[in-house]
Amino acid sequence: MYSIKIALCFLLILIAGCGNVKNDLSPSGDDKRPSVEAGTTGPSVGQNAPDFTVSDSLGNSITLSSVIALHKGVVLYFTMWCPTCDSQMSYILDNIIPAYPDVVFYAVDYVSATFADARNAEVSNGFAGSGFIVLADTAGTILNTYNATMGTTVVIDKNNIIQMNENFKNGSRLQNVLGSLP
Amino acid sequence: MALLGGAACFFAPQAEAGSCCGGGAAVTLILPKDASAMIDTSLDVERYDGFWTKDGKYLRDQPGTDMSQYRLNLGYAVRLARRWQASVSVPYVWNVNIYPNTSSRVDGPGDTMFSLWYEAFDATMCRLRYVEISDLKPAATFGLSLTVPTGVSPYDGVKSDDITGRGFYRLDGNVLLDKTIYPLSASLFLSYGRYFERPVNREVDYVQPYRKRLGDRAVGTLALSYETFIDYSKFRNRLTYTAALSEVWEGEGTINGDRDTTSGLRKTSVAGTIAWSTLERRWIVRLTWSHSIMRDGWGDNTVASDIYSLGVTHVFN
Repeated sequence: MYSIKIALCFLLILIAGCGNVKNDLSPSGDDKRPSVEAGTTGPSVGQNAPDFTVSDSLGNSITLSSVIALHKGVVLYFTMWCPTCDSQMSYILDNIIPAYPDVVFYAVDYVSATFADARNAEVSNGFAGSGFIVLADTAGTILNTYNATMGTTVVIDKNNIIQMNENFKNGSRLQNVLGSLP
Repeated sequence: MALLGGAACFFAPQAEAGSCCGGGAAVTLILPKDASAMIDTSLDVERYDGFWTKDGKYLRDQPGTDMSQYRLNLGYAVRLARRWQASVSVPYVWNVNIYPNTSSRVDGPGDTMFSLWYEAFDATMCRLRYVEISDLKPAATFGLSLTVPTGVSPYDGVKSDDITGRGFYRLDGNVLLDKTIYPLSASLFLSYGRYFERPVNREVDYVQPYRKRLGDRAVGTLALSYETFIDYSKFRNRLTYTAALSEVWEGEGTINGDRDTTSGLRKTSVAGTIAWSTLERRWIVRLTWSHSIMRDGWGDNTVASDIYSLGVTHVFN
């Protein structure tokens, strides 16, 4: 029994030393989203979307503010060309993009070093010529500005307001947000 | 039960990259029949090499991508009664990810596994030779394993490269059948696990709360071993060669009770182990190579990898 106690103590010390872990050991469903002041610019829902200019995978310069002016909304999906990304992008391609022809869908490649690399990844992963336009975020500008990670999905409406900024889930949340765009 | 020390590391194959929602799972330890306790430590080096799409097509990583996970696993097993034993295994994880335009290195604890095992036999079931049909009766061990989310998960305010655990409790039911007729052994390990649904209110930032559950998980591993003896001066040692085939499957999860059709995975792996042990099997040193079959159809919606593992086990009487 002595050895069991030692093992348990070791574990408790290990677990207690890991602050983030408490979220998983006893997860909370409380809504802790901070309130956002309207009119400010930032990555949170309700804020004005930060503008950016990057190259797409064909070398064309893309500026968010110019695109928003021409569409009902903009979707940014952050990809690192992984299995989860592939599965979620395929879902969006098959089930969501056809239903929203007045919304532009960007796949933000934040791991390629050049737009040519992004093009190669787009082609080898089977998304060339698809409903996604691939943005080559070679400096991680969009990734950091929107505090994003793999699978993050951002929806920006025509008024440049962020309506969604969270991980892609099963598609229903994204469809709800797109369906209620002004 | 001769090979369990060496084969234990087969029983928790990794299925997700540390940079991609997973990693950091603990291994399962099972104590030999005549032992009172066991300490195990192992170092795994997992190198990721491409992935399978949801429909089973194998794709290579981008040139310039190099993703690895290192795991230091510490385990302890103890006999509670004549037929009962318990174990705990704690991994510590390092993720090293290099992409064409950036890189990251993070470390942290992985998910911890507690196990309780019942041996449905009283004496060692090994046989020196086959004499009659009853000699083929395998040893059966039944277990329950609880995975506790002590790792850093996607719901802890971190980015994907920083993940060292999955963030969910999981309860597995396990069955191990094994038979040794010297010098050959065979074992079959089957496991079926269910993740518990949990609330999520945070990803990288706090988000609108929702409930999530990962899909049920099944693992099957078939291992065949051959044991031989080697002599160093007056000491006699054992060498065991093991080949294993392992299949991991995870069903689709749910978000707020609705199916998440983008989730779920499947992967087939093969593994080879060389284990050295003292004659009485008090010390075991093992070297394992586990390999994903990197071709179309050998996996769905998950990463392919090679895992190199070096482990040392000490068994107490």
